[in-house]
Amino acid sequence: MSDTSLAEADDASCIERSRREPEAFAEVFRRHAPDIKRYAVRRLGGDAAEDVVAETFMAAFRQRDRYDLARPNARPWLYGIATNLMRRHVRTEVQQWRLLERTGTDPVTAPFTDRSDERISAEATRRNLAGALAALPKGHRDALLLVVWGGLSYPEVAQALGVRVGTVRSRVNRARKKLRAELGGINPMAIVSEEPVHE
Amino acid sequence: MNEMSELERLRAEIPRPAAADLRAEEGRLMAAIGAADASAPGTSRARPRPRARRRTLGFGLGAGLAAGALVAGAVVVTGDPSPHGGSGTTTPHLMPVASVQLLNRAADSVRGQKELHPKPGQFLVYESQSTNLSEDNDAGRHWAYLTREKRKVWLPLDGDSTRGFIEAERLAPKAIPGEAIPPHALKEVGRRGPEKLADTDGTGGRTGYQAVSRLPTDPAKMYEHLYTGLGHDARADWDAWGRVGELLGEVYLPAAQRAALFKAASAIHGVTTTGKAADAAGRKGVAASMVDPIGAEREEYVFDPKTYDFLGTRSVVINAGKAKMPVGTVTGATAQLRVSLADQAPPV
Repeated sequence: MSDTSLAEADDASCIERSRREPEAFAEVFRRHAPDIKRYAVRRLGGDAAEDVVAETFMAAFRQRDRYDLARPNARPWLYGIATNLMRRHVRTEVQQWRLLERTGTDPVTAPFTDRSDERISAEATRRNLAGALAALPKGHRDALLLVVWGGLSYPEVAQALGVRVGTVRSRVNRARKKLRAELGGINPMAIVSEEPVHE
Repeated sequence: MNEMSELERLRAEIPRPAAADLRAEEGRLMAAIGAADASAPGTSRARPRPRARRRTLGFGLGAGLAAGALVAGAVVVTGDPSPHGGSGTTTPHLMPVASVQLLNRAADSVRGQKELHPKPGQFLVYESQSTNLSEDNDAGRHWAYLTREKRKVWLPLDGDSTRGFIEAERLAPKAIPGEAIPPHALKEVGRRGPEKLADTDGTGGRTGYQAVSRLPTDPAKMYEHLYTGLGHDARADWDAWGRVGELLGEVYLPAAQRAALFKAASAIHGVTTTGKAADAAGRKGVAASMVDPIGAEREEYVFDPKTYDFLGTRSVVINAGKAKMPVGTVTGATAQLRVSLADQAPPV
């Protein structure tokens, strides 16, 4: 616990320091940009993600005076900013999911296909998931992907999205139900766990 | 394999970039930060809230320093994308003097309206109509059109939707300007239900009759309630406006709370009046409205021009470039047609 909280306490300190010394903000970027970049690429593809990451950290820098220093870990704050910025690309995101659903070819992962390995889902599963994700209300998709891909806890997602934890829970549960229904068509014998993966 | 682990595998081949891969991006950020800082008078602490700056900037620029810096500027102008405005959450929200006359009139007219007094065990029955933007893709093309639905919902007083019921009728879809209606949309027209309303919409019991009966009846306290956990910027105002809307849908507020809600809403920064509006059922009215922080659409709450009864909501495109749809396109609307009480659930 102490290791984590020490590391986490540093985000708030870095941000506080960057209010006097802007260059201290580089540390916030170094810590969080790799995860946020991967998350944004996964949702939007490389081009849009590059813009989103640049905008996220610039917006965060401009808002640093208002960062709540009582929050040692800046991760939910940064994911919240990134999520809001990604909403501008929601049509692109949905179109890409639809394309994957329809054709089985994923425009987002195409540049990375040489890395294909066992982690890649079966094609039918991918297409069904893509269809289900495209059909989700954006608030539900945000909550679900922040949990599964962003690795945020429910309270962190609540903080990132500015909604209550109960809302996050119900959005994730609804989204899961829809995904399960889509996947149900592939393997009706699949064992479904009711436990959230991250809590 | 469950849906969560399948989802974890999806697009998992996208690698987490190493710090070295992001060096160029870091360089651009720090250059932009240096430029932003140099142009600021005095220290960052002394800087005024960036929201005060007004500039119009286009989107869709390429990647790189210019795009990063410019679009970040636009973000600041159009509203704080941070869901919690940092220290803002600890500063109290004092209600300013109410300014939107329409909402004040709506508050005053609540007294003259017939009030329902639900008894334990009863259901509140909401009849409404809605129009929603729908986007699908099939056979290589993208479709954007409006779906329309009439629905009747029975909700218990604690608002638990898992004990609620629904009867719905999908109406003929409508085209949006310059777009066609896909043939499959016509097949969805028809009735369903009554059936159990098993889906929860995220509001849970929060907007049930029992919960909303405990909301403040004092406008200033209601105003504070609307801003709970929000900062002090355009994004916060927009969220507070959204919360007002949440309390105007399939929700029944006792008269005292409803009057307080309209008074509080009239004081939300950025709310204006739109002279001509209409709800999803085509009923004409006047609206209290707010433009979203992106500047793409205007969200209107429509009232009867004579009685000031709340009629419904409507979203209208005001900036074609940002909304990617013609100005004036209605992207969503609702109409609250009737609220009544029922002793029993419908037979299912």
